Order: sequence, then C-alpha cells, then structure tokens
Amino acid sequence: MRLIGSALLVALLSGLSVNAAAPSAIAAGEEVLVERATSGTPGGRLVVALRAEPRTLNPAAAADAPSREVIGRMSGDLIHIDRATQSTESALASQWKRSTDGREYTLSLRKGIRFSDGHAFDADDVVFTFRVLLDERTGAPQRDLLIVGGQPIRVTKIDEYTVKVALSQPYAAAERLFDSIAILPQHLLNDAYEKGAMGQIWSVATPATSIAGLGPYRLKEYVAGQRLVLERNPYYWKIDSTKRRLPYIDELVFLFTGNEDAQVIRFQSGDSDVLSRASADNFAVLARDQAAQRYQLKDLGPSLEYNFLFFNQNDLSGKTLPQVAMKQQWFGDLGFRRAVSRAIDREGIARLVYRGRAVPLWGNVSPGNRLWINTALPRLPRSVSEARAILTSSGFSWRPDGQLLDRQGRPVSFTIVTSSTSAQRTEMATLIQADLKELGMDVQVVPLEFRALVDRVFQSFDYDASILGLGGGDADPNGEMNVWLSTGSNHLWRLGQQKPATPWEAEVDRLMQKQLVTLDYRERKQLFDRVQTIVAEQLPFIFLAAPHILVGARADIGNFQPSVLDHYTLWNVERMFFRPELRTRR
Amino acid sequence: MTVVARRIASSIVMLFAVSVLSFGVLELAPGDFFIEMQIDAHVGSQTVEGLRTQYGLTQSPVVRYVQWLRSFVQGDLGFSLAHRAPVSTVIWTRAANTLLLTVPAMLVTWCLALPLGIWIARHRNRWVDRICGGVTSTLVALPDLLVALLLLLLALRTGLFPTGGMFSPDANELSVGSRLLDLGRHAFLPLCALIATTLPAVVRHVRASVIEAAEAPAVQAARAYGIARTRITSRYVLPLAANPLVSLAGLSIATLLSTSLLIEVVMSWPGLGPLLVEALLAKDVHVVLSASMLASALLVIGNLAADLALYAVDPRIRV
Amino acid sequence: MKRLGLIASVLASLHLLVLLAGFVAPYDPVEQTRTLPFAPPAHLHFVDSRGQFHLRPFVYALVPDSENFESYVEDTTQRFPVQFMVSGSAYNVLPGLESRLHLFGVHAPARVSLLGTDGLGRDVLSRLLHGGRMSIGAGLIATLCALLVGMGLGTLAGFFGGRVDAAVMRLADLFMAVPWLYLLFAVRAALPLHLDTRATFLLLVAVLGIVGWARPARMIRGIVLSARERTFVTAARGFGARAPYLLKRHIVPQTLGVVLTQAGLLVPQYILAEVTLSFLGLGVGEPTPSWGAMLGSLQQYSVLTSYWWMFTPAIALVAVAISYYALTSMVHERMRLAAS
Repeated sequence: MRLIGSALLVALLSGLSVNAAAPSAIAAGEEVLVERATSGTPGGRLVVALRAEPRTLNPAAAADAPSREVIGRMSGDLIHIDRATQSTESALASQWKRSTDGREYTLSLRKGIRFSDGHAFDADDVVFTFRVLLDERTGAPQRDLLIVGGQPIRVTKIDEYTVKVALSQPYAAAERLFDSIAILPQHLLNDAYEKGAMGQIWSVATPATSIAGLGPYRLKEYVAGQRLVLERNPYYWKIDSTKRRLPYIDELVFLFTGNEDAQVIRFQSGDSDVLSRASADNFAVLARDQAAQRYQLKDLGPSLEYNFLFFNQNDLSGKTLPQVAMKQQWFGDLGFRRAVSRAIDREGIARLVYRGRAVPLWGNVSPGNRLWINTALPRLPRSVSEARAILTSSGFSWRPDGQLLDRQGRPVSFTIVTSSTSAQRTEMATLIQADLKELGMDVQVVPLEFRALVDRVFQSFDYDASILGLGGGDADPNGEMNVWLSTGSNHLWRLGQQKPATPWEAEVDRLMQKQLVTLDYRERKQLFDRVQTIVAEQLPFIFLAAPHILVGARADIGNFQPSVLDHYTLWNVERMFFRPELRTRR
Repeated sequence: MTVVARRIASSIVMLFAVSVLSFGVLELAPGDFFIEMQIDAHVGSQTVEGLRTQYGLTQSPVVRYVQWLRSFVQGDLGFSLAHRAPVSTVIWTRAANTLLLTVPAMLVTWCLALPLGIWIARHRNRWVDRICGGVTSTLVALPDLLVALLLLLLALRTGLFPTGGMFSPDANELSVGSRLLDLGRHAFLPLCALIATTLPAVVRHVRASVIEAAEAPAVQAARAYGIARTRITSRYVLPLAANPLVSLAGLSIATLLSTSLLIEVVMSWPGLGPLLVEALLAKDVHVVLSASMLASALLVIGNLAADLALYAVDPRIRV
Repeated sequence: MKRLGLIASVLASLHLLVLLAGFVAPYDPVEQTRTLPFAPPAHLHFVDSRGQFHLRPFVYALVPDSENFESYVEDTTQRFPVQFMVSGSAYNVLPGLESRLHLFGVHAPARVSLLGTDGLGRDVLSRLLHGGRMSIGAGLIATLCALLVGMGLGTLAGFFGGRVDAAVMRLADLFMAVPWLYLLFAVRAALPLHLDTRATFLLLVAVLGIVGWARPARMIRGIVLSARERTFVTAARGFGARAPYLLKRHIVPQTLGVVLTQAGLLVPQYILAEVTLSFLGLGVGEPTPSWGAMLGSLQQYSVLTSYWWMFTPAIALVAVAISYYALTSMVHERMRLAAS
C-alpha cells in the first residue's frame, strides 16, 4: 500500500515517466541493513557526467577511475569504510570477530540477501570472489592489496553464511582490506573463470541480464560513446527508517564527455546533476554563476593527495646515462635538496595554481587526513637567503652572472619532466623554474606525453627531476607501503633496489613494517609520525601542495554528503534523493 | 579497365605501406598500454607484467605486426585493450556517427560554395569580392579548435543548444519524430563548426578556378560571339573549371573521417575523433591501426572516384 | 601597384614589430608577477579622480579587490604617467648585444599591461610580441623545409617523368595518407631531454615541414611537366643542353612563381600548425612564449569564459594570415596578368 502511494506521489510530483524496477517487498528472514539517515522521497533520475568512458564492468579487471565509479554503484562489499567518519562499518558482513593473535577473522554474512538478478547470496560467492582475485591468471589490480606479509590471504567457508579469513601475520588494518572489494556472483562467472576468460568478461557492451551485483543499482542500458544507464536494484539489502527499501533514486545515468572542462560545461548547463572534483579554476567559474543557478557547491578542504617534486636518485649502474649520472652528485646531496625546498614558493603555488584552494605541504600526509597527520612537523617558510646559505655550505658557488656552480665548477642545470595533460603540474613546474632561477639554477620544463613520462620514471630512468602526485586512496598508511618501503614499486626516487641504500631508508622500512603488524592505533600513530618526520628531513620527495576537494550538485538533492575519500560524491548514492519542495522544472 | 585494376593494386600496396608506417611510428613512442597501471601504488609490477604477457605485448614488434596483419586480412580488426572488446564492436558505430556529421556538412558546403564562388567570381575585384575575401581569409586563419570552442561558448551563454553529446539522456522514451528533432538539435553546432571550417577554403578554390577558366581563349571567343552569359557559364566555364574542383571534391570525400576530429572532441560528439584521440594517448594499438586503415581506405576511394570523374568530365585527359 | 605596396608594407611592419619585440614590449615575457594573475588590461586615463586633465596618459596601480579576491580595483591615490624611452629589463638586440631601452613603461609598483596578464602574472603584450618570433619563425622554417623537399622531388618527378614520376607520386600519396601526428609524439619522446627546449621545438617544426612536401611537390611537378614541353626547352635540348643546365636556366625559373604563391599560403598554415602542436602539448617549452602556447590556455573552460584578453594571439594570428593571403593573391593576380 505504502509502495503504491509513494509511486503515485512520485508520478504526480516529478512528471517524469521513468520505467525503473520497483523495489521488491522485504522477505521474511532477510537480514537487511537499516540506515538511520534522513528518510527521503523515492523517484527521479540522477545524471552524472564522466570524464572518460568506462572501459569495463568487470570488478576484477577495472583499473581506471570511470570504470570503478560505475562498478562501485553496482556492487557491494563485506566491510565498508564510511566516507563521512573514515572508519569501518558492517556491510554484507553483519558482524565479525578477530582472533586473539590477530591472524584470523570470522565474518558472519547477512542471510536471505539476493543478487540484483534474484539469485541468492551466500558464502560460496565470497570464497569464489577471493579465489578469482588472488588467481594470477585473472590479473586483477586488487590482487596485491590482498597479499599480507608476502602471502595471499586465505578465505574459507565455515558454513552457508560464515567465512574465515586467515592472514600470515597480524595486520593492523585488516578490516579495511574488504572495502570496495566487490563480491562476484559465482552463478554467472564460474564458467568464465574455469575457462580462464575472467579478464575479458563483462565488457561495457555486455547484455544487462548477464551482469549481477550486490550494489544499489544494476545495469539497464549502454549506448556506445554516449551513456550508460543503471536502474534501481530491486533486491538491494538496505532499508531506511521507514522500512522502505533503498535506493531512492530510480535511475543513474552516466554521460560520457571528453575531459574535465566538458564535464563542467554539462554541469553548468544543467545536463548533469552532480560534479565530482572540479578544478579550482572551474570551481571559481561555477561559484560566480551560483546565485543565478540552481546548484550547491562545496569546498571540502584538503584532499589526501600530495603533489611533489623529486630527483632521480636511481642506481644507474646498469644503464648508460652519463649526463644524469653526473647530475646525481647534486641530487644525492641533502643540502642541495634542502636548498631547493627552501626556495620554492609553496604559497604562490597554492594561490596561482589552485586559486587558494590548496594547502602547502611539507610532509607526505595532508591535513585532510585528520587521523594520521603529524602536526608537529616544521613548516619552514620560503627563504632564498637561507637556501643560498645551505648551498654555500654544501660547496656550491656562483658565477658573476648569477649562474650556480658546483664544487667542480660545472653550471647547475637540469630538466623537470611533467605530464603534458596535467596543466596544473606544468604550471607548478614553471613557478618552481622561476624560483630556482633566483638560486642561479638553470631549469628547463619539459611536458611529455603521459606514457612517455611513466616510461622514463619507471623503466629507463632517463630523467633528472619530475613532478607527480600520489595518495588519494585510503587514509590508512598501509595504502602507502609501496611508496615508502625501499623495495616498493612506487619508491619513485630509487626503484628496483633489493635492500635500502641509506640508513634512513632502512629506518623507514623498519617503522613501516612494524606499524603494519601493530594493532593499537596510538602505537601505530607514533611509528607513522616518526616516518613523516624522517621523510620531511631527508626530502626524497619535496612536497608542494594538496588540492582541496571541490564538488557540486543540484540544489534539490537531499543527503548530499560529499567526502574527501573516493568516491567523493556518489559514495552514499543509495541515500540521496530529490527533495520535492525544492524541485525546479528541468 | 586494366587502368582501374592497376590503380586498385597499387592502392592495396599503399594501404599496406600505411599500416607498416603507422605501426612503426606507434612503436617508436616509448611505453605501452599497461604502463599507466604502474603509477597506481596499489598495483604491483608483477601484475602489470602478467597482464602484458597475457595480451602478447612482450613479443617483438615484428611478431605483433604479423599477427595483426594476418587477422586483419581475414576481417578481424583486432582487440581493443581499453574496451576489452573486439575493435569492430567499437569502431563501426563511431565511424557511422562521424559520417552522420561529415556527409551532410560536405553536401551543404559544396551546395553553398559552388554558387557562392561563381557569384563572387563574376563580381571580381568589386567590394563584394573584397568583403568575402576578407571573411574567408579570417575563417581560414582561425584555428579549428578556436571556432569550436567559441561555438560551445555560444551554446552555453544562450542555452539554445545542447552543450554536447548526440542525444538527450531520456531520448529512448521519445517518439521517432522527437528523437530526430533531438538529434538535429545536438548536431546543429558541430555541423556549423564543420561548415565554418571547410566552406571558406572551398569558396576560395571555386572562385580561383572559375576566374582562371573565364580567361580561357574558348570562353573569350564565346563571349565575342555574343552568347548569353548563363550559357557561357554552364557550357564553357564550368567544364573548364571542373578539373581542379573535381580533385578537391575527391579530397573532401577522402577526408570525410578526419576533418571532424577536433570538433568531435571539443563538442563531445561520439564519433571516431574522441575514440582515436583516446586510443592514441592510451596506446591502444589495434584501434589506432584500424582507424588509420579506415581513413586511408577512404582516401584511396576518394582519389579513385575523383580520377574516374575527371576522366568522364574532362575530354582532354582521355587523349 | 599601390595596393600591392600597401599590403607588403603592412606585412613588413608586422614582422618588424615582432623582430623589435624586445624594444616595443614593456616587460620581460617570462617575468612573473605572482600578485597579479589574470589582471585585466590597464586603463589609460587622461582625466584623474579630481577631474583634472593631463596631456600625458597615466595608469593607476592594481590591487586585489577586498570583497572578491578574484578581481582587481584601481588604487586612485597615486598617478603613474606613461614614460617613453625608459630603461627596463634586459634583452638581446642581436646575439651578444644587450640593451635595456624600451619604447614605453611606468614606474614601479604600477604596471602598464595594455593587454592584461596571464595566469602567472606575465604581461600578455610582451608575450605576444616575443611569441610572434617563435610562431612566425616556426611557420617560415616549416615552409622552407616543405618547399625545399617539395621542389627537389617535384622537379625530379616532372623532369624525368615515366617511372621516376610514378614512384614519386605514389610516395606523395603515402605521405598524405599517414597520420604524422604520431610521428611527432614519437620524435618528441625519443629526443634527449638535455637539448634546449627551443632547439627541440624547432626540430619538431622542421619534421612537420618535411613531411608536408607532398602537396607543393605535386604542384611543382605539374609546372615542370608543362615547362618541359615548351618550345624553348626543346630548342635548348636540340642545341645539346644537358639536364642540369636545362633545369637551372629554363625549368626552375618557371616554377618560382608557383613556389612563391605556395610559400605565401604555407607560412600561415604552418603558423596554425604550431598552434595545434601547442594544444597537443608538443609546443615550445615554458617559459618561452609562442602564440600557440598562449592560445593553449584557452582550452581551459575557466579561461575561455572569463578572460577575453587571452584571445589576442588569435587576432594577431588572423592579421598575419590575412596579410599573407592578400599578398599571395595579389602576386598571383599580377603573374597571371603578366603571363596572358
């Protein structure tokens, strides 16, 4: 009765004829999750413009952001990180217990839940999912996340609704592992997996009946080059406080645009309803028109991302790069790096590149990461005279025309490579170029095509310095293991080493390994604080700035609670709804 | 007929050469499709290597080229790494969308340019000619990208036209008539941009050829005979002017798939343009090769059609 | 005759302005003013806030608006008259010869940015003038390369005919068909980083010119084919003249007219190509200005809609292109009249 009433209300108010599947009635024995958020009005269609086309709908193959954005709305995970509080909450696993030694977790799954095609969900699907993801043949990007202490985690079925997860060593943030690991339907994917075709299945053109998931939406339609439409999952396992099954919004439409500017244009003209991560410039344009328009803009403060300048300190013994090798005498000198760091105008970067919507950084953790930032880190102001003094004490000198010379009298000159597609990093490089000119350094800025850049930084090591950005994943330090461990694949300034090259890197290794297995938050924080201090002193990366997260949405969207964690705007899409009292005609 | 056969044979050789060159040039640029995953801190290098091996990217370039060639001559256009799907599922709809834009644009351009060019040529060196000359020069000098961006700005400011895409999100629920109207509204600005960038050059060429043809002795003789002006234009001037114009028309056909590239990217029109640009940047080799082959095939067809038409129209060539 | 002279002098003065960029421009094109990003063009006043008229125009200093930190207001407390023949930043008149003399300027802290500033606070007028060097230079170099190769191969094809002609023409078709954009990406990626960015850019431009030889070659081949059959050539042959002599004295002079008109059309085309290269990230590196790099910032939506003065390189582009086209068509017209 209530459902019919709500449907009539929607039809009267919205005037849209959206043919979405109505939510199914709640079955007895179905263990739904009750969301105690504001109850909302069902109905409507939410349009989101994507920056690029999603490449696949296969959770085990998606590595690019648009694919993950779409898949995230179609799938469910066992334990979820609430983006607002940044801590874990139960999802498909209604509760879990940790063994005393911290190596085993027993998860109880919700009973009576069904996939979006009506098929029942149980422990077999969970075991299948982890088997697929950990299988090397699949080549899933999530595989490395599930390797703890060198061993993959072992997931075994205890009974129909209980699984046991075994780790080779105690792992501090084990619960957080499960966030965004989509549970796959065994009944649809088993054949493909047995045949070894997991990597090719579920492309965007797959018919909707072949795809099922546990998320708030399921696939309805895909039109090549134009849009992808998701409709409400009638079996979604969350309800609101009035016992109505979520999600409220009937349909999610993803429009494909070519780039960020096209995305903003669509939002401003009213074609799309939500804007994720606008750049500071576009945000300023939108803010100017805000009064006349019907959208709300939010500046959420600094993101978790950090941009940095770094020098090539790789071991070049296997390569023939005499010029770079010669310059490494400067790059390896801590005084040189400290001088460069003192001379950089971080405030200028925040003001000019990001229109003031960024914070200058001196360490690898941004202020947006409230739980882990080391607030005691020194924030040295810009000082060209200090930088010069440091250079002098490191044995550098100046020619009469101002050019900096090293101990052997060679002029100090190097290039900074950036990605040609990132206008912001190239602008940062131009500002740094002018800053370092005051020190007498001759710096060239070379924008390269992205792949060429990555090739130089990761494979050929044929570069002097570069500006890149990292972070932006989870707030937990474990996500950064690959960057700070000396054997890590993102240990950018010195890749491919078997053991740490310097004492301080060995110390960082020790600290990171220790915090991995420490279960108490306060102890971990102390360890990670020490890592931040060492990194800020030794400057393998010269940190520049962390941009703010800037988002926008239509004014009449309720429960719009954007966060600084991915996915910034749609993470709670099942709770979002259109407020009828604020509704304007489209 | 042997002439045609020989042309076709040499065209096939040329297509082959184009494929070799395109492949070679793509290989020159460092990095491959999966290198982008290396910068993701969560993905280990072993996973990336595994993916590379799985899709055959670790083999030598020669081996990969031969594999592609073998499947291509059998009609299989290859596999798109970005879309994880066969290239043919991706490329034909996009090509059709591009043609949906460029064919009407070409027709409109030529239907406008011919009479306009003739009319301007008739009023040569008077103020009409000068103004049109100035306007066409300005339009030719403006970068295509700028024209497209300005039109986009216009759409945004006036709100009269959609700012991108081919259909509205709710197009499926409309009737056939409304859907056609929706398509028209979305295609209008890209069409304008396309016509604005191609019309001026064609007008200038028409004008130049007509003027040159009008100086010919045969035409002067006809004028001396007192033959009516319209008859002179249609029976004497136009056939003489036809030669370079037919070649130009052939070139228009040949570039049907490539002129709209930038405009499609700026206006989010789902054609070959955005696909090619993304495939190029992502080093999705098979998509790029297939698109180049498609464009080259069209070039060959265009040139052949132009040569055949020339043979039919211009009696001097038959001699 | 008069009109030809007029167009030619317009073109010459545009080139002269660009050549004398150091003198005419009030500021160094790479000098950043980090407190004044995207400042609008300076207003030249003749009447001050008290209503008094001054013969010498003056400007006010710009300060950020306290309410809206995105815009600027003029500080009317102090006038800064425009001075002529002032001493400013250093520039090279010729390699090795430095000068500090600028046509006009104002005293610090005011700035007379007649065309506003860009995102890093650099004066747009100065960058426009200095950028013209890069852009017009790129156009000239590319045209030279295209014409040299085109003339060489086209003359060869037309003169020797037969199989040579067929081979060259097939090669020309090939060159027109291959998408050379990838080649430019590849060349850029393969070049060592230690080269001066200016040198790298000019190398790319040269490559761009060289691969564009096909169209001029076709036209020149056509001329050479018809020239070869002319009576005076046949006569010269009858007298025992060899190929090099024929080419030098009789054939090549015939082609010069076409080459000239081709040049007049190609230069603006290659200046435009430089703009495209910059859009794609293959342009000259920072901080060197070029028209393409300046227009590249218009790709950002915020710049496109908010800062109209960033469009000025397009106007310069159009002016140069129109002058070249007008000159070319005038020369073409005169040649035609002379031939008939």
